[in-house]
Amino acid sequence: MAYVEDVLLVDRCLTGEPAATRELFRRHRARVHASLFRVLGNNRDMDDLLQEAFLQVFQSLRGWRAEASLSTWIDRVAVRVAYRYLSRRGRRVQTDPIMDDELAVAPLDHGPGARRQLARDGVKRLYAVLDELSPAARLAFTLHEIDGRSIAETAKLVGSSVTATKLRVWRTRKKIEQAAAADAVLREFLEPAGADVIPFDDKEAS
Amino acid sequence: MKLVGRIPVEPLDDERLTNIERRIVTGASEASVMRPVRESRIPMVLGFAIIAVVVMCAGLAGWRLRGADAPAALAQEVPLQIQTADHRSTLDIGDARIESTPSTVYTVTRPGGDGVLVAMTRGKVELEVGKRGKRAPLVVRAGDTDVVVVGTHFTVDFGDGTGDVDVRVTEGVVRVVRHHQETRVAEGQAWKTQRGLIAIAVEVVELGPDRGHSGSDTVEIDLSKAPDVLHDRVAKIPDSRIASAGSNAGTASHQVGPGPEDVRPRRLDSTSDPRLDLKTLIRTQLVLPALDVKEPDPTKAISIYRNTAAFQKGDEASLAIYSMAVVQALKLGRTGDAEQTLELYVRRFKGGPEYLAALWLRVRITCLRDFDNVCRQAAYTYLHEAGDTPTSRIAERITMSR
Repeated sequence: MAYVEDVLLVDRCLTGEPAATRELFRRHRARVHASLFRVLGNNRDMDDLLQEAFLQVFQSLRGWRAEASLSTWIDRVAVRVAYRYLSRRGRRVQTDPIMDDELAVAPLDHGPGARRQLARDGVKRLYAVLDELSPAARLAFTLHEIDGRSIAETAKLVGSSVTATKLRVWRTRKKIEQAAAADAVLREFLEPAGADVIPFDDKEAS
Repeated sequence: MKLVGRIPVEPLDDERLTNIERRIVTGASEASVMRPVRESRIPMVLGFAIIAVVVMCAGLAGWRLRGADAPAALAQEVPLQIQTADHRSTLDIGDARIESTPSTVYTVTRPGGDGVLVAMTRGKVELEVGKRGKRAPLVVRAGDTDVVVVGTHFTVDFGDGTGDVDVRVTEGVVRVVRHHQETRVAEGQAWKTQRGLIAIAVEVVELGPDRGHSGSDTVEIDLSKAPDVLHDRVAKIPDSRIASAGSNAGTASHQVGPGPEDVRPRRLDSTSDPRLDLKTLIRTQLVLPALDVKEPDPTKAISIYRNTAAFQKGDEASLAIYSMAVVQALKLGRTGDAEQTLELYVRRFKGGPEYLAALWLRVRITCLRDFDNVCRQAAYTYLHEAGDTPTSRIAERITMSR
């Protein structure tokens, strides 16, 4: 009944019912936040962006025509907010900076603590590479490769053709591979030695 | 490179989330009571400066052009002859847009400076004419027939230039003048040399069992011979030419099962009484049947539609919700529920595949109950959205009913 529930919930939101607004926000906030986080990385403006995304959603809610599912439509709004943010900021996003000493290749320890640290550093370096990309390329890559959406869905979300989206993802992948060739930490993060991927759970991230 | 699931999302703590939620709820309630005002990116002073520069430039240009002829491309009375090759072409003359089919020949002149004369030699033109105000009318001349326009959208078909003229009006009103006789042709009507004034109705042809085969056909209703029933405000109209086309076979496959009311389209008998009661007429109009879910029990069928609507989107959801309304209204007689379902449909699927059918069903439900304001409102909405169809003529009568 999710679809009908969404329709009814939107109708209630359109009447300005605060409880409905709250419910819609609670229902979709985790997904939108996760998408924004994966696109933009650990970002000090995340609160504002999440807020802006949902304000946009509520302002344009009348425009939702039930042709797409509500969650897809909200994701599209969130992606537009992310795009505007990236364009406004130029290619540099306020992700956590990488210290000079972090750039030095540390001896690769294989203990669990060291591997988690390596994973953290790998993420930072990955987003440092992504910071150099155009907003469209970054969105295409992160939505497909990190957020796990299909190429078709990514293309729909960013409003590009499937071919253009594929091309952007492919080019970005090449850039990251080039960067990884010169950065052992990033290389280790992208292609971890051994079968296991580096564990990095939410608790530790926070 | 496999990154899905490897970038951990740092969760927002409860306090931050509560703050965001509070701000969103406040912002959303403000948005629901007022339209968002776009912030001007240009400071007001700069805006004034731009306006001043534009005014100065316009004044300078006017001074430089003083005494010159009117600037429109076709302001001069020199005829402009257009001959369309083997594709459609469009000519924009500023105050009208003329689209012509292949092999059309016509000449445009501006008699008297502000009038427009489109003299056709052969072919077919479609015109979109803006409001002419105090300017002289635009006239399309096809042989001995003049079509006089004050602002409208219509087509004139002159065939090979020797035969009859066919004028069809899709918006507004034109006057057709022939042999000093004038006929007013309104939106949804047509005029033909041999037949005079006729109404053109677009009729939806039956949907195939797979819903992939649909089309439309036009029905021509002679108005010159029939009484002027569309304007007499009496609930009787002739039925002779508003027949339903198409077979019942495709429709029958969409039935949910026997119910209190048969929703299959019925043909109106052209030999029957020329005047029918408005309610009878409403009953005789096609109601797009519900989706066939092979379930004879209407209540169970509704459950199936509800599930479809829950898990599908787009066209599937549209059809499911519409079907729910059909079964509620026509099988179960729960017209109140059906109205609510239709309200939901109309709000969410404006322009959807079953949109017009839903609007008509609403007209049917409300007007078979009573010719009150609710019914008239529903009929008006249908009329506004449907354009020219046989049922919209009935809707038009409903809006005028007392």
